[in-house]
Amino acid sequence: MSVHEQFADDLSLYALGALQGEERLSVEKHLKDCSDCRHELVRLQGDLALLAFSAGGPRPPARSRERLIAAIAREPRRTAVHLMKRKRWWIALQWAAAAATVTVILLLLRQNTDLRQHVASLDANFTGQREQLLQAKELIATLTSADAVHFTLVAAKAPPQPQGKAIYLPSTGTLVFLASNLPELPPQKTYELWLIPTSGAPIPAGLFRPDTHGSATVIKPPLPTGVEAKTFAITVEPESGSAAPTSTPIMVGIEG
Amino acid sequence: MSRAASNVVSPDAMLVSAIRSGDEQAMVLLYERYSSIVYSVALRVLGETGAAEDILQEVFLQLWRSADGFDATRGSLPGWLAVITRNRAIDSLRKRRPEADITDVIGSIEPDFVGAAESSRALEKIRGTLGGMPPPQRAALEMAFFDGLTHTEIAEKTGEPLGTIKTRIRAGLLTLRKAFNP
Repeated sequence: MSVHEQFADDLSLYALGALQGEERLSVEKHLKDCSDCRHELVRLQGDLALLAFSAGGPRPPARSRERLIAAIAREPRRTAVHLMKRKRWWIALQWAAAAATVTVILLLLRQNTDLRQHVASLDANFTGQREQLLQAKELIATLTSADAVHFTLVAAKAPPQPQGKAIYLPSTGTLVFLASNLPELPPQKTYELWLIPTSGAPIPAGLFRPDTHGSATVIKPPLPTGVEAKTFAITVEPESGSAAPTSTPIMVGIEG
Repeated sequence: MSRAASNVVSPDAMLVSAIRSGDEQAMVLLYERYSSIVYSVALRVLGETGAAEDILQEVFLQLWRSADGFDATRGSLPGWLAVITRNRAIDSLRKRRPEADITDVIGSIEPDFVGAAESSRALEKIRGTLGGMPPPQRAALEMAFFDGLTHTEIAEKTGEPLGTIKTRIRAGLLTLRKAFNP
């Protein structure tokens, strides 16, 4: 590296800030075009730093430190503030995300609780219905079982009489019929139960044959709904049954 | 100390980076490390503790505000602070506004004085080198640097030719340089 000699002394003065006016402008103009002199200027600044260190010795009073810290605390601190804003923004975002997550979790927990309650309710309902169904099945099995023993209580010393009991619910068209002490049927004949409406023709309500004890049941025969029953009757019909009574009823119901 | 060595990220570089991020603790650490250099230079120039404290505050506050202006990976932070302090103190001595923001004054200082600045041995070496200079040379150098006199003012004060003063100043600086880069 070779420093231009005509600028050598002036570079030192320039580094010291001692040049003014034309001398200074001349050096600055040269520095723009001369990398060697620019590098030499940097080295001269290092030399000046060595000279500055020669002043080393005294330490500043402790109050200077506190004064500086206080002064810094009063500074706007663009970067720090910016960072703090970013931090705050990020923290706010994290809090928002956390809050959203908590909200979702709470909603899910609540939904889960509702679902659990709903399931529990359904389960309880199902259990209740199952119990009712079991009771109904048990009742029906008892009524319809061939092994069931039937007793008909009548007045003392009175001979057993044929009896029938029809339980009917018009709104659903549900009918349960129980009979006992029925006479044995002739061959190729059957008993047919009739629903006698308050108006209109008798409606077939099921075919049945009594067992060896004269007992019989008809459970839920197909009937139209909403038909008011005036009474029920039993006729003896051909084995395949009839659409309308073809014989005189052997039994007619009375309400009660 | 080589340029290559100064390219390694120094603790100073990390401190300056932290200061850029607004880390007050980093600023305190840097103050603890270099306040003595800054205060000594300011006191040497101004000769008054109160004024030196003011310059101390000014330099470190300016560093806090404009840490971007110094690339600590490229040079010596204490060297940079020392020269900045001297320039500010001279401006104060002459009751003039700072001629430039510190960030415009120096981009880097070679060599890296981090180790040397903290070493009393280095200080002894500098003082020994100055003590070994011809008195007129040392006087010209110190009047230019610590008193802020121009070469013209020094020439007038000493009665020496202007060219002689210029040469003495440059020669004195090269002598210091040679002491650390033989």
